[in-house]
Amino acid sequence: MAETEAVKSNPRPIIRIGLFFMSHSLLVSVVCYVAGIFALLLLPILSKNTYISENALMPGSASPMLSNDDVSEANRFMNQISNLDSSFSRLRIEVPRLIAHHISAMGGEVNHHKFGPQLKKQHPLRFFTIHDPGTIQDNFTCSSLGTNTIGIIRAPRGDGKEAILLVTPYNSSKITTGEVLALGIGYSIFSLLSRVTWLAKDIIWLASDSRHGEYRAVTAWLREYHTPLFGGLGKLQDELCLEPSSFSEGKPLETIDARNLDTFRRAGTMAAALVVKVADTSSELEKDALSIYAEASNGQMPNLDLINIVNYLAVYGQGLRVRVEKMYSFLHSHWLKGLGGVFESLGKLAKSLNPEWNFDISIAEYIEGSATLASSLYNQALGVPTGSHGAFRDYQIDAITMEISHQMSSNYRNRQNELLTRSGRLIEGVIRSINNLLEKFHQSFFLYLLTSPNKFVSVGVYMIPFALLVAPLPVVAAALFSAASRISSEGQVATSTSVKNPSNKFRSWRWLAAAKTVFIVHFWGALMTLLPYLSGQIPEFTPATGVWLWIVLPVISLLLFTFPRRKGSQSSTAEWMYLKSVTIAAAFIGLSLMSVINFATAEIGAILLVPMCLMAAPLSIKIQSLRTIVQGACNLIFAFLGFPPLTFFVLKGAIQDLESTSIGEFWTWMVSLWEWSSATYVFICMVHLPCWALCAVTLLQRS
Amino acid sequence: MEGCDCKFMAFLVILLATTNPSGASPASVSDSTTTMHTNNWAILVCTSRFWFNYRHMANTLSLYRTVKRLGIPDERIILMLADDMACNARNKYPAQVFNNENHKLNLYGDNVEVDYRGYEVTVENFLRVLTGRHEPAVPRSKRLLSDEGSHILLYMTGHGGDEFLKFQDSEELQSHDLADAVKQMKEKRRFKELLIMVDTCQAATLFSQLHSPGVLAIGSSKKGENSYSHHLDSDVGVSVVDRFTYYTLAFFERLNMYNNASLSSLFNSYNPNLLLSTAYYRMDLYQRRLDDVPMTNFFGSVMETIHTDSAYRAIKDSKRGDIEVAPDHTVKRILSTTDSHDQTSDENQVQQVACPFTRMLRNIDGMMAQVKDADKVVNYGVLLMGVLLTVSSLISR
Repeated sequence: MAETEAVKSNPRPIIRIGLFFMSHSLLVSVVCYVAGIFALLLLPILSKNTYISENALMPGSASPMLSNDDVSEANRFMNQISNLDSSFSRLRIEVPRLIAHHISAMGGEVNHHKFGPQLKKQHPLRFFTIHDPGTIQDNFTCSSLGTNTIGIIRAPRGDGKEAILLVTPYNSSKITTGEVLALGIGYSIFSLLSRVTWLAKDIIWLASDSRHGEYRAVTAWLREYHTPLFGGLGKLQDELCLEPSSFSEGKPLETIDARNLDTFRRAGTMAAALVVKVADTSSELEKDALSIYAEASNGQMPNLDLINIVNYLAVYGQGLRVRVEKMYSFLHSHWLKGLGGVFESLGKLAKSLNPEWNFDISIAEYIEGSATLASSLYNQALGVPTGSHGAFRDYQIDAITMEISHQMSSNYRNRQNELLTRSGRLIEGVIRSINNLLEKFHQSFFLYLLTSPNKFVSVGVYMIPFALLVAPLPVVAAALFSAASRISSEGQVATSTSVKNPSNKFRSWRWLAAAKTVFIVHFWGALMTLLPYLSGQIPEFTPATGVWLWIVLPVISLLLFTFPRRKGSQSSTAEWMYLKSVTIAAAFIGLSLMSVINFATAEIGAILLVPMCLMAAPLSIKIQSLRTIVQGACNLIFAFLGFPPLTFFVLKGAIQDLESTSIGEFWTWMVSLWEWSSATYVFICMVHLPCWALCAVTLLQRS
Repeated sequence: MEGCDCKFMAFLVILLATTNPSGASPASVSDSTTTMHTNNWAILVCTSRFWFNYRHMANTLSLYRTVKRLGIPDERIILMLADDMACNARNKYPAQVFNNENHKLNLYGDNVEVDYRGYEVTVENFLRVLTGRHEPAVPRSKRLLSDEGSHILLYMTGHGGDEFLKFQDSEELQSHDLADAVKQMKEKRRFKELLIMVDTCQAATLFSQLHSPGVLAIGSSKKGENSYSHHLDSDVGVSVVDRFTYYTLAFFERLNMYNNASLSSLFNSYNPNLLLSTAYYRMDLYQRRLDDVPMTNFFGSVMETIHTDSAYRAIKDSKRGDIEVAPDHTVKRILSTTDSHDQTSDENQVQQVACPFTRMLRNIDGMMAQVKDADKVVNYGVLLMGVLLTVSSLISR
């Protein structure tokens, strides 16, 4: 007996630690949350320099072969495109034909790929699948079809199992100078690569027709590439939309057989894809600049090595200024400047204590780093691809968009040639480097945040703030649960001294009532998820209506949820504690699940959700002290800030101006998330909104 | 109990002695220093795959070219190349391999005989080549058929580390394995002297377990050091040669097969500032002074021709033919006869040769070997020649 007594009083250390945390749950949650926010702010300092991890890549080891001849050929090609009849219907036919003609003249295989606009309607059951049925709706017209032109160079001694893709989007309804330049770059590279002997992977040049959006063109082609259609609509289209090939005046294109143009051509699996664009506006910098866009759907990133080689070759090979997106509003924020100053002096102090501690960062660097980090975090959290490279991630292909912008200059002609040479050589270098690759990109990181083009925060580091943020949730949930069961048991003892009371038996099941509420609220959240689908069925649905629906529905349901509770029971304190405990547990599960799907969303969500859930307490607690007043005020603030439409407008106001914002913007934003099948949408509707509602229910409860 | 152990050990020793495949009992092992240097062999190994390791293949092929130029015939070179850069699709110059960016010398010309290529280059095959334990089907051209008078050059290049050398990106040769193989070679009297030359990172660590006498080892770098490539060929897009090999080749390019430069001059030619690593050589197992050893002892070949009665001695020797035809003998038996023949031929040759000239030469050889003070004989010989010269010049006048 004595032994069991000893065991009971002395449980295992891990349990003792857990009990210790539970008994100090308030302190633990405050410390963890503050530490989490602090660690998040530290990330720009903890970022590391990028390095090329894969040995086989060897970027820059070969000298570029792109010569002035290629550039002048490209110039001629660009002139031909610019001189085309700019009327809408002619351009749609002539540009693909011209490109096809040149490709086959260079000895490449060529074909056209036709596709229609994307279907707007989306079935909720196919949320995460690739939402393209592959069929074109019945009422399509020939003129509404876009035409991709695909050129393929077979590697002379390669095994034909792998390919590198080059995408140059252009809008066939109105082709801009930037798009013409991008086509010229594509042309010069293609003509060079059709002559070289060192190709080990096939080269595909996709001149994508972005009249239905850049993304749509690439998705349609990728879908057809990976899921062959036999017979069916493809043939039908061709017969219906036979283009008047005999009408091509002046340019006899007898080199290409018109029928051959419609057989879909394939190369092997794609090792990497580069989307090349040229900005129409000149860069505000002294140098030519290259912007890299990498975020694909749901915060997926291409392998860091791909960004590394592009950055390396652009900076050291061609002397371009490389940029990644950043939040420009952060650059002038005063609090960030102050924080940078604090970190700078801390870093200096650390260095004076021990010269090996290298946390040195200047204020400017810190601000730059955090602006880029914020943008990286935001773009990943949004879950919407930042360009047509996003389509490739669905097929596990590493892809980035490279947008080249030229410096302001008066001597445009010379500058254009120089731009062509530089960007052509850059892309040639990148392709040659990828050509050296033996396997898929796998050596470097897939989970990272960029703080500058050559600095990154890896998953191992940015996990820490999130882990600190969510750590209090289970502790507080457990503490609340034990407190609630203690209170309810005391209540039981007080009311009925009889031990044999049957209700006593189910005392430990009392949380089930709370769980039922939580489940109902989550179910309601799932129904809210379907709003855009339902709204699509209703004609004449304006975004403003959507927002009102979004505001009215939660408020009504909130009243419905709270009303039955008003009846009250003898231990309502225990009741709200149970409810809060289960809410927190559900929030913890939701955040943890989301961190697996889209880490950035979970991170941003945790910043908002964690204090809201932890603070929640009934407002009707008698005002006893300053603490309860502060708590009540905080609760109200969080309850208002946590409501998704309000959060949206507040954040928008903080980052941009609210002047130009209309009320319907929130609805359009939500619908766009829905259409891009972003997991963030699911998170907002099925984790954030229910948790907010449950917190509001807790606030309105009687204690 | 102890006595029982002893008996058992004795039995084992007897068993081992009787089953020794070469038929030579330990007692009859002669001191290697007294055997004549009969022939030269080279084993050249490139252990790494993949296009970015182009330089390792170029290293090996350059050394192959050098030893061939200095006189080791192709049948005595075992060339092991783990990948085929010449036919790699990424090679801008198909079927050519260069070790310099000036592209003057194509190392992959017409007369390159690769014995082990691609996935054949494994640790197992490498050790089999060294120790001579092959599958019966392996052709003679893939075997190291050296004898106790052989000088062997073993050159290896690839990616190494502390006490290992990586093969094929999948397995490792450890210093213990190498030392063990060398020990077996010594016991099987497969070499007289062995020069191991290794161009990898931390090459010196690969030699740490060697114990067999007659082994000389040189590595491109010490423990903790990297071996670097010499230069990048921006046309081909890869580094084409490693520093250690580059300077080794630079040394040999100045020499021809009649040159008497010593090994020490080769070893002293390595400049740590140029190599960016410290060349390390281990010579405590080697008896001769390096100044006295011409580098052609390893990198060239002995040019001695041996006269025989007939090119087809095997036909005349009907006994051996019987052995091979006899049905009750296993394949192993045939193999062991061929192997042991190579090793014992020197001893048997005196009885076997019938050519009078060869016999006379042999006799003189034998007599010379018995002469106690060779200096005196030489001095008398010179004196005699002087006398003869004066007499003959007097007569001719």
